[in-house]
Amino acid sequence: MIIGAGVLFNFILYLAFGSLILYGKKKKSSLLQRIVIGFFAYYTLFFFFCVPIMKYYRPLSMLSGIWCAVVAVILLLSLILNLKGWIEDIRDIFGTVKSSKLFFLLFMLLIIVQIILTVCIYNFTLDAAFYVAGVSTNVDTNMINVYDPFTGAWQDHFEMRYFFATYPVQDAVICQLSGISPLIWTKSVMTVTIVILTNMVYYLLAKSLTGNDKKKMLLSLFLIFIFNITFNTIYTASTFLMTRTYEGKAIVGNLALLVIFYIFILMNNSESLKRPWLSLFLVCFGASTISSTANMLVPVEMTVLFLPLIFRKKTYKELAGYILCILPGVILALTYVLYVKGYFVFYTFPK
Amino acid sequence: MQTINLMEKGIGYLETVLDFYSGSCSYLMLYILCLVYIAIKGSDRDREIFFPSGIFLMLTAYNPIAPLILNKFFDVNNEYYRFFWIAPLVILIPYVVSEIIFDKELKAKRSLIIVLMAALFLFSGDFLYKNGIRLAENIYKMPSELIEISEKIHKDADEEYPKVFLEYEYNMQMRQYDPKILLTVDREDYLYAATNLFTEEMLKDETHPQYKIIAALIKYQYVHPEEFKKAMEETHTEYVVLDKNNLMNDFIVAAGAKKVDETEGRNIYKYPLKEKADFELVDYSVVY
Repeated sequence: MIIGAGVLFNFILYLAFGSLILYGKKKKSSLLQRIVIGFFAYYTLFFFFCVPIMKYYRPLSMLSGIWCAVVAVILLLSLILNLKGWIEDIRDIFGTVKSSKLFFLLFMLLIIVQIILTVCIYNFTLDAAFYVAGVSTNVDTNMINVYDPFTGAWQDHFEMRYFFATYPVQDAVICQLSGISPLIWTKSVMTVTIVILTNMVYYLLAKSLTGNDKKKMLLSLFLIFIFNITFNTIYTASTFLMTRTYEGKAIVGNLALLVIFYIFILMNNSESLKRPWLSLFLVCFGASTISSTANMLVPVEMTVLFLPLIFRKKTYKELAGYILCILPGVILALTYVLYVKGYFVFYTFPK
Repeated sequence: MQTINLMEKGIGYLETVLDFYSGSCSYLMLYILCLVYIAIKGSDRDREIFFPSGIFLMLTAYNPIAPLILNKFFDVNNEYYRFFWIAPLVILIPYVVSEIIFDKELKAKRSLIIVLMAALFLFSGDFLYKNGIRLAENIYKMPSELIEISEKIHKDADEEYPKVFLEYEYNMQMRQYDPKILLTVDREDYLYAATNLFTEEMLKDETHPQYKIIAALIKYQYVHPEEFKKAMEETHTEYVVLDKNNLMNDFIVAAGAKKVDETEGRNIYKYPLKEKADFELVDYSVVY
C-alpha cells in the first residue's frame, strides 16, 4: 500500500514537471516522454535548492520545507496548465491499450515480474552502506551529509565525491516529510519507480526502432528482460538494475544513458520531440545530480552519438546545444579533480 | 575492480577490464555480430543509429590507450568498466534478434531461427538467479536478526547512540536500518580485512585502534589482551556482537565483556568502558 502510493506520487511529480518543460498546445509530446524528462527535470531543480542549503550546513528540515513549497507550486501550475491534456492522455492510454490488449497485458506482466524480482529478493550490497545509510543518517540527524553514513561520526568537511550527487538527499527529504522508513523508500518505492521508468524507455526505444510493430516490440522487450537477468557479472548495468536498482549508478547506467540514446534516435530520424536540446540538457544535468558516474559517462555518450550526427546532418548550430549538455558533467568532474588535488575544501562548520 | 592496477597492466588494462566485465557472458561478441548484421542487412536508418557511435566508441573509450590518458587526469582504475555501459547492447541485441525472427525472407525457416536464437541467448548469458533466490524477510529487506539486535542493544543501553562492533555483513547493514547505532569500524577497514591480514605496523598504529579489534575478533590474529582492551577504550566500543560460531567469544569474555543478550545466532556483549563515548549531535543552531 505504502509502496504503491509512493510510486504513484513519484509519477505524478514527474508528469507535472515534464508537462511544464514540454508544455505546448500544438506539437504535443507523448505522456511517457513527459514523465521521463520530468524525472530528470525534477532532480535538476532539486539540486539548485539542495546544494546551497547543504553547503551552509542548514538543517534538512529547512530543505524539506522549501522543497515542499516548490513542488506544491509546480504541481499547481502544471495542474492548471495541463489538466485538460492529462485527461486527454488518460483517454488516449485507454484507447491505445484497447487496440493492443494482448501486447500491453504481456508487457505489464513482464514489468510485474521485474518488480517482484527486484523488490522481494534479498540483496546484500556494499554500496548501500553508503547510499541508504546516508539517507537514514540525514533523516535521523536532520542535517545533510554532515555525519559519516558508515559510522555515524561527525565529519569536519563534505566528501566532494558525493557532494553534487544530491539524489539520496531527495530521498531523505521525502522520508522526513512522509515519515516513511528510508529502507522502504529506497529499496522498494524507488526500486519500483526506476524499474517502471526504465521499462517505459525500453518501450519508447522498441517502438521507435520497430516502427510500432507490436510483435517485434514484444519480442524485443522480452529479450531485453532476458538480457538483464543473464548479463550477469557484478559490473554490468543489467546486474545493477536487477540488484541495486535504487542506487544512483544504476539509474545512470540503465535510465539516463538510454534516454539520451532515445532522444538521439528521434533527432536522427527527425521524429517529433518538443524542445529536444532542453530535454537533453535536463537529462544530462539530472544524471549528474543522481550519480557522479554520469560526469564521465554522459559527456562521452553525448560525444559518440551527437558529434557524428551534427557533422553528418551539417547542423552546426546544434554544436552549442551539445556543448551545453556536456558542460555540467565536465564542470563537476573538474571540480572534483580540484578537490582531490587540494585546491579547496567545503567544511561543515564556519571557518 | 580494485584488484586490477592500471599502472601495472598498462596497454593490457582494457583487455583485463573487459574480461572481468564480461565474465562468462558473450554478449559483447553478440553486440559486434549485431553491428556487422546492421552493416550488411540493416536499413540506412539503423546504420546511422548504431554504426557511427559503435565505431567512435571503439576509437575512443574502448581504445586501449584511452584509460592510460584518462588516468593522468582522473583516477579511473576502479571504475573504467562503466564506460562499457554506453554501448547499447541491451537495445541492439534484442532488436536485431527480433528483426531476424520476423524477417519475411526467412519466414519458412522461422522455427529453426527461433531455436537458434534461443540457444544463442541461453549460451551467451549467465543466469542471475542460478544459485537460487533468498526472499527478503521483511519490508525493510534486512535480516530480522539484525532488527532484533538493534532493539536489544537499545533496550540495554543508557545512551541514545551506543557504539557497537559488528561482524562484516551486519556492520554494512546496521546503519541503513538504525542510524542511532554508531559503528566502530567503517567500510574501508572491513574491505581491507576481507582480503588481507593486518601487518605488525598496522597493529602498532596508534591512530587506528580499530585495526586491533578487527584483527583479533575477525581475522583471529594474535593481539595482546591489554592492547585489545586499550583499543576498545580508545574507540569507545561499548557493545560487541559476535556470531555464536566465532572462535573469539571466549576471548571477548576474558577481556572483561559481559554477555547481556543473545539472538538465535549471535551473542551480544557489553564492554565495561572506563570512559563512555560522549556522542551528541552538533548543535548548529548556534552557528546562525
